[in-house]
Amino acid sequence: MAEGSVAAVPAVSAVQALQGVLAAEDAAIFGYGVAGAHLSGSRKSAAEQYWTAHNKSRDALTAMISALGAAPVAAQAFYRLPFAVHDASTATALAADLEDGVTRAYLGLVAVSGQKWRTFGALAMQDSAQRAAFWRGATVAFPGLS
Amino acid sequence: MLAASAAALPALLATAGCRSSDAFTGPDPLAGRPALSPDVVTLQEVIAAERAMIALYQAAVNVSLRPASQVRGLLAQHRQHLGQLQARLVLPPGWASASPSSSRSAVPNRVTVEVLRGAEGASATDLVRRLVNVPPALAQLFASIAASDATHVTALGG
Repeated sequence: MAEGSVAAVPAVSAVQALQGVLAAEDAAIFGYGVAGAHLSGSRKSAAEQYWTAHNKSRDALTAMISALGAAPVAAQAFYRLPFAVHDASTATALAADLEDGVTRAYLGLVAVSGQKWRTFGALAMQDSAQRAAFWRGATVAFPGLS
Repeated sequence: MLAASAAALPALLATAGCRSSDAFTGPDPLAGRPALSPDVVTLQEVIAAERAMIALYQAAVNVSLRPASQVRGLLAQHRQHLGQLQARLVLPPGWASASPSSSRSAVPNRVTVEVLRGAEGASATDLVRRLVNVPPALAQLFASIAASDATHVTALGG
């Protein structure tokens, strides 16, 4: 590395990164449907609230991608879950995993050039990191990177 | 000529009708210490701010601020932040590793959960403001730390 420098990563286009975020939001919407079925009480309410938030984000991202002249990536009919979900404990773990995936996707947007996209990605990943911390019951040092 | 001091060299070169930069193909060694790039200065400032945050948490630990285990846990995460930030900084030989402001960070007389929460929120905001003008990899590190700080606000009851 050159003196007095910081590491670099390859440039990513805004559309590419937004498509990645949209795909992660679609996966989260599907996953919350599975997780919510195994939750009850305040956790079920939280799952419903977060499912709604992800739907709103999906709609906003779809509009953004269309405005950039690209076709938004379509949601899949079915998503392979990272592990079997059969009770409240595994449902909670799935919800945390989904939010981690969304956080990583928004972090990808932060690599894009342009203040607008970077700021949008950085603020959005704070929301998903908060939700992941809620499900996990603990914070992590590097949301989206760990 | 062989006994000429370095200070006299520019005058000698001028007498010979050439500038010091004509004698070298690389950076002019007589131009003085080069300025650090804005990215590096930003990184130094963020490192100084992270050190100030650690000092704040350390003060909270010293007064046994409760919940102690949570305070210690968040302090450990800030130390991880500092480690990653420092790992990204490569300075030319002879440059101090910390910016001067890092040693001036003041810890309030009374550290409370509210003070920690305020500092975490301010840090998250500051990092998002700074990440727009740095290289992508550094922007992502700033964004991740900002997100971590935002979760700390909530963990502290915000």
